[in-house]
Amino acid sequence: MNKLFPTQEIGSLAKPAWRIKGYRGESLSKEEIAEAVNWGKRLGIENLEALVKILKKNERTPIDRRSLLQWSAKFVIRFFEAAGLDVVFDGEQWRSEMYEHVIRNVEGFEFLGYVKSFDYRYFNKAACVDKPKYVKSFYVEEFIFTKENAKKMAKVPFTGPYTLVDWTFNEYYERKAGGKIKDFKQRKTVARREFIFDLIKEVIRPEISRLIDAGAKWIQIDEPAATTNPSTEEMELFVDAFNETVRGFNCTFSLHNCYSNYKILAKYASQLRNCSQLALEFANRDSRQAGIGETRIGYKELKFFEDYGFRGKYGLGVVDVHTDFVEPAELIRDRILNAVSIVDDPSRICASTDCGLRTRTWEISFAKLKNMVLGSELARKESS
Amino acid sequence: MLGSYVTGTLPRPKELIETTRAYDRKRVSKEEFERAFIEATIKIIEAQTSAGVSYITDGMLKWQDLLRPFTEKLEGVKIGALARWFNNNTFYRKPIVIGEILRKKGITVEMANMECLPRNVPWKAVLPAPYTLTKLSENSFYKGETELLFRYAEILREEIKNLAENDFKYVQLSDPALVYNPFKDPVSKDTLVDVNNALETAVKGVTVRVCLQTFFGDFTQILPEALDFPVGDFGIDLYETSLEKLKEYTFDKGVALGLIDARSSLLEDEKELATVAKELIESIYPSKTYDVFICPNCDLEFLPWERAKEKIRVIAKVAKNLQNEWS
Repeated sequence: MNKLFPTQEIGSLAKPAWRIKGYRGESLSKEEIAEAVNWGKRLGIENLEALVKILKKNERTPIDRRSLLQWSAKFVIRFFEAAGLDVVFDGEQWRSEMYEHVIRNVEGFEFLGYVKSFDYRYFNKAACVDKPKYVKSFYVEEFIFTKENAKKMAKVPFTGPYTLVDWTFNEYYERKAGGKIKDFKQRKTVARREFIFDLIKEVIRPEISRLIDAGAKWIQIDEPAATTNPSTEEMELFVDAFNETVRGFNCTFSLHNCYSNYKILAKYASQLRNCSQLALEFANRDSRQAGIGETRIGYKELKFFEDYGFRGKYGLGVVDVHTDFVEPAELIRDRILNAVSIVDDPSRICASTDCGLRTRTWEISFAKLKNMVLGSELARKESS
Repeated sequence: MLGSYVTGTLPRPKELIETTRAYDRKRVSKEEFERAFIEATIKIIEAQTSAGVSYITDGMLKWQDLLRPFTEKLEGVKIGALARWFNNNTFYRKPIVIGEILRKKGITVEMANMECLPRNVPWKAVLPAPYTLTKLSENSFYKGETELLFRYAEILREEIKNLAENDFKYVQLSDPALVYNPFKDPVSKDTLVDVNNALETAVKGVTVRVCLQTFFGDFTQILPEALDFPVGDFGIDLYETSLEKLKEYTFDKGVALGLIDARSSLLEDEKELATVAKELIESIYPSKTYDVFICPNCDLEFLPWERAKEKIRVIAKVAKNLQNEWS
């Protein structure tokens, strides 16, 4: 992409009620159907009558339910394009959630139930109970649909192996190592390593390979868990896992990580091979006043990545996904220009959201993305 | 003696999780929400009594994190942003110290569901240790970390005394921050002296048995200094501690052996645990006089309740088997 400061979203967008309830086979209220129609008109979606017909049904066939995934994916692709993004995807409308979607489609895992994340928030945690087995692709169909429907370049968000392993109980490999290694700590370390590299070999690489065969040009590896364990051994494991994941593939890869310890990640980022872009969350850490320099407290850590020698591009988080505050275009512009002053090469900055926008409404998300596009244009004018 | 107990927050059972989620979304009443906690607490206590543990806890189901009751109820402390709970995929809210810390009333006692606890098994309570409270707080008031450490230690002494007055027989001070050390920096002697003195303050005049429970890190890195700490027992995370190094020391105080991995769903083999425990006990107690508790390495809240329940059975069973073998 030759354009300076191209714009992208990270992955997810909220699933509309008509998609969630419709897919579950529940009946929809007039308002929920109207929401689909209104957005559909706004986004220029064709043949909306066919969608409304499905939504009005009291009972939906498996084919109907499947088609709702496609409808909502199409809406989101148009949504991103209408906002003016340069790189698009389907807002992960086909996926239940970034972790569950993968685990449910791979053999060797069992969900054990909900465990606490914080307060009254929980997550459904699985255990690896057998060697992971790739039985079917879990991203390819979704990608092909996006590719066929997108007018812009498509980027595939892909939950990374380190995160999948970190969020999963490791019964199979711990049991396996149990007979051989006496020291409990050592046993867990060996079991973790074996789990992660088996998962990469048996599941992750076969899926990447199929995505590339289907025409994927850019795969974004999502690793929110990357710095959960900041020890040298664990960070090296994370780097090794990334490098093994992407090894030898003819495709562009990038890494997304957010709400993490960037002092740690920065130290290891330059060791990631074939990682053309680091998509990082900064807006959430930043002030809201316009300006460059001291005001931009949230972007200080960008310098660590530079100091440690990362030379790829940055998917610079300029939009905070945890607030309804719509960043003015001037603020976006200044966040970009501030990053340019740190990196000293405008071609290495892409404007991005901090993370997926799935916790925001479509109205707010759209306003935020439009301003991100506008802010990038302002920054481009200043830089040319 | 050879006993067993759990070492912190237990997981909320499925029904309680559902109620708390619904409550969070304003879909159930406060009464229903409170009732769900009581029902779950009864269930969790029942699981401990039927397993046959030596001390019983109420499971701390309402504790949002180890520090939260203090973060919310101490004067001079306000609640901060979410922060990662050591190297876990769970989060706590940072206590921010903005003024003189004052304790107006009993915090832990108020949280404890004493009416649900049985009278025929001694009660155990769990508190954050002064060092962990200090390290995880953001201090905007006291001159330095040491001053804050000693202020927390004083507060904890009041808490421990209050627990003793309310019939608790055993108090665990959870101290993960003391041993969690991902970068393997040597623990400074000065820190260990401060910790020792702060514990001295916390247990001064206290009549209950106190355990310093360390987890998420290698206990041997604070040895031999820790052996002089003024507590009755030391909790050791055996999934983070080098077993070989540990065997190089001898103990004249009690230990709580974290033999069950609360961060793994794999159910441990009782025979193997008994063997490991035996080897350890024989090494660290050459005098053959020992006080040992078999326990999980950390809070069982990392597991779904059903699996945690099975693990509670295992700790009690291992303790009983060893006791039978050696008596």
